[in-house]
Amino acid sequence: MTPWAYIPQLFSAGITIGAIYALVGLGFVTIARASQIINFAQGEFVMLGAMITFFLLKGGGLPYPLAALVAVILVVIIGFLLHITVLYPLRKASIPILLMATLGASIFISNTTALVFGTLPRTLPAFLGNQPLQIGGIFIVPQSLFVLGATFLLLISLYLLSHRTLLGKAMEASSTDPLGADLLGISRNLMVFLAFGVSAGMGAIAGIFITPIFYTSYHAGTLIGLKGFVAAVLGGWGKNSGAILGGFVLGVVESLSIAFIPSGYKDAVAFVILLLILYFRPKGILGSPFIDSRRW
Amino acid sequence: MSFLSVEEIIKNYDGVRALNQVSLHVRKGIIKGLIGPNGAGKTTLFHLISGMERPASGKIYFKGTDITSMEPYEISLLGVGRTFQTLQIWGNMTVVENIMAGMHTRLKEGFLSCGLWLPWVKRTEKEALKEAKEILEFLGLLGRWKWLASQLSFGQQKILEMGRALAMKPELILLDEPAAGLTATEVRRLAERICQIRKEGVTILVVEHHMGLVMEIADEIAVLNNGELIAEGTPDVVRRNPQVIEAYLKGARVDA
Amino acid sequence: MVDTNQKEFRKRDLLYVVPLWLLSLILPDPHLDHLRKESRFRRRDLFYLGGLLLLPLMWPDTHLHHLMVLAGINAILALGLSLFLGYAGQISLGHAAFFGIGVYTTAILTTRYGFPTFVAFWASALVSAALAYLIGKPILKLKGYFLALATLGFGEIFLVIVRESHSLTGGVIGIFGIPWFSLAGFSFDTYLKQYYLTWGVLIGLLLFSKNLIRSKIGRAFLAVATSEDAASTVGIKVAQIKLGAFVIGAAFAGFAGSLFACVMSTANPETFGLNLSVLIIMMVILGGMGNLYGPIAGAIFLTWLVDILGKYQEYSLPIYGLILILLLISFPDGIGTRLNIRLIYLISYFGRKKRREKAEL
Repeated sequence: MTPWAYIPQLFSAGITIGAIYALVGLGFVTIARASQIINFAQGEFVMLGAMITFFLLKGGGLPYPLAALVAVILVVIIGFLLHITVLYPLRKASIPILLMATLGASIFISNTTALVFGTLPRTLPAFLGNQPLQIGGIFIVPQSLFVLGATFLLLISLYLLSHRTLLGKAMEASSTDPLGADLLGISRNLMVFLAFGVSAGMGAIAGIFITPIFYTSYHAGTLIGLKGFVAAVLGGWGKNSGAILGGFVLGVVESLSIAFIPSGYKDAVAFVILLLILYFRPKGILGSPFIDSRRW
Repeated sequence: MSFLSVEEIIKNYDGVRALNQVSLHVRKGIIKGLIGPNGAGKTTLFHLISGMERPASGKIYFKGTDITSMEPYEISLLGVGRTFQTLQIWGNMTVVENIMAGMHTRLKEGFLSCGLWLPWVKRTEKEALKEAKEILEFLGLLGRWKWLASQLSFGQQKILEMGRALAMKPELILLDEPAAGLTATEVRRLAERICQIRKEGVTILVVEHHMGLVMEIADEIAVLNNGELIAEGTPDVVRRNPQVIEAYLKGARVDA
Repeated sequence: MVDTNQKEFRKRDLLYVVPLWLLSLILPDPHLDHLRKESRFRRRDLFYLGGLLLLPLMWPDTHLHHLMVLAGINAILALGLSLFLGYAGQISLGHAAFFGIGVYTTAILTTRYGFPTFVAFWASALVSAALAYLIGKPILKLKGYFLALATLGFGEIFLVIVRESHSLTGGVIGIFGIPWFSLAGFSFDTYLKQYYLTWGVLIGLLLFSKNLIRSKIGRAFLAVATSEDAASTVGIKVAQIKLGAFVIGAAFAGFAGSLFACVMSTANPETFGLNLSVLIIMMVILGGMGNLYGPIAGAIFLTWLVDILGKYQEYSLPIYGLILILLLISFPDGIGTRLNIRLIYLISYFGRKKRREKAEL
């Protein structure tokens, strides 16, 4: 059996997971644009979104949409808390400290989840059944379409938020010139605070949509988070469009790689791509507005 | 061939022409002043000479070697030292260590011999310390040699930065606004020291806004305005040049 | 870096300054190590050395001995990273990978090819250093977060390779039966012997680092950390210095890995993931950036903490994460550094007081 036969199927799977990487990458970019912080706990939001929904659904007996909504709100609150308790006190700290603080938060969140919800992998029911649709020889689970649709909607709302509202402009301003924005009365800390909420919400939504397809467990967040970051760097660090493109490229490449290399190496693919892109084109595919600044 | 020659340099920043066909020649053993209003391209020229940036076109020669596309450390190995307009002192080291770090290239040990503290490392370190103290004595900072550099006053830090450049025994030293932010007495002493450095055979190219200082110490002055060289010659010639007066007066009006 | 803002000293500061000052008599001076050129070996070092020699004899508790062996190994790791992170100012989230390379080099050389452990010990450091050279050359042009990310990527790739190449590394099961470390027929087969071995190696590497730091290399590290531009204008090859720090750190990690393999007698990929890298960085940060004794103290403290937390089973990791965050928030520039700044306030306070009194007379 030649691996080529699987390719369309793998491609569609890659697009689905790529959408998730794109959303996680967007979460990184949102925070980094507001504050020049990289939040390594980003992946935990994805995991939390799915986990909380699962327990509201199974334990609380809430209807699915309500459970999802409550989960997203809870995760947004956790995102706010993360900023208030960890990153706000450290707002003047150096990069290694910030790095460690977010990694510490990641350890804390994932293991607390294990404590509260158990260590078993969980899955959520699909929104519209599991009957795969056959489109031109490729089998697609309907959930994939939901993932893509949700990604698309989130992208549009994020675009509107950052380009069409005063708030988005304020975020942009406080990121490019913190002092100048401060002088104009834009509170930088408030912007970072909001950015944490937005990216936590995006992460949670991504988690809820993807979990019917892929299982999630307490330690799944770290890897998804890292891959989302790789996606953001790959597409062009600091650009929303870069994170989206990078997410899809990464998802597809990673998925296709299964056809050609042993599946155990799949997790290494993202990082090999990362090293290659950092070496040959640190700006990423679309170019990065940040690359000359001091921190990266 | 002159000691340092800059040939028809062009440098653009995002479409703005910072330097336009600038040619500059520095003879060995003189003090050359480089003046001009803010934004004239003086510091850009320094960055180009020291290799921190690359020109769009043109060539820079030092002692006949083409240094246009060399790395900064290669250029400093050839004997070009510099100071920065925005102070770049190593605040986490002591004063004497700052000077000794300036001698980096003159100490030849590698990682292993330093780690094992072989006898010759011990000897050269001792000599380096002695020499660094001599430099500090010359600069009048010997009393503070054990201080952290960040604890010095601004003026002393500027002097220290100059000392660091001297420590590498350069043949050409680029001073970027050495007198900025200094008090009148400090400027006096600075002038004396620059002249003394020249006496030891070091060629000096100095960017300075402090007119009194430049006119007093420089043998030759070049004037940059809007990225172009508008005058060159002895201080007296430059002082009377109508274009220079025009540039400075206009600058003054704009600033006010 | 020392904060030069002369803050006013308050009476209540005495509450903690006095005990801190007493502590400082036995604790190392944070971040002032590299300034002491004249005295290579101070009286305080004798205290440490004596304490180290006597500690296991005074507490003949094998658990403590084992813990101190692990602390010593962690201290070697932290010492190596301290050169790269604390002095040269570069971040590496892949330090655990070099540790892993050391572990596997020793494991493979001793169990598959029957090399003596002493040879494997040096080979581990060499292999780690060589790989660090190959990896570091391209990625060290990156800075800050991107460097952290690239090194993290390297660490993850390494883990995947170890898990997947079953024939060489034994996959997730790992390698068993690595012999005790032995030298000229003398086998380090008890925790007590291993304790002296590990800390002996640590002292050797500490002396090496101390020499490095007070030489031109140490000055170049600090110069690169503060201002790469200024460093290159005095002829320091920034790339070479960074690479040197990276390679030396990796070689230290290789030594540590070799010792670890001999002590645990197994090699397993789960030991050196991202969590270990985080732990090592925490040791350096808590000990204070830019000093050598601090990371060792940090290593002892964190090894002990992890051991204590281990008793709480499933609660251990959440508490660990929480403690990390709390420590970072309360001591963002290292416990050691904070302590020293307080001391400087204290000294300057008394200094000023004296001067004031003189002026009044």
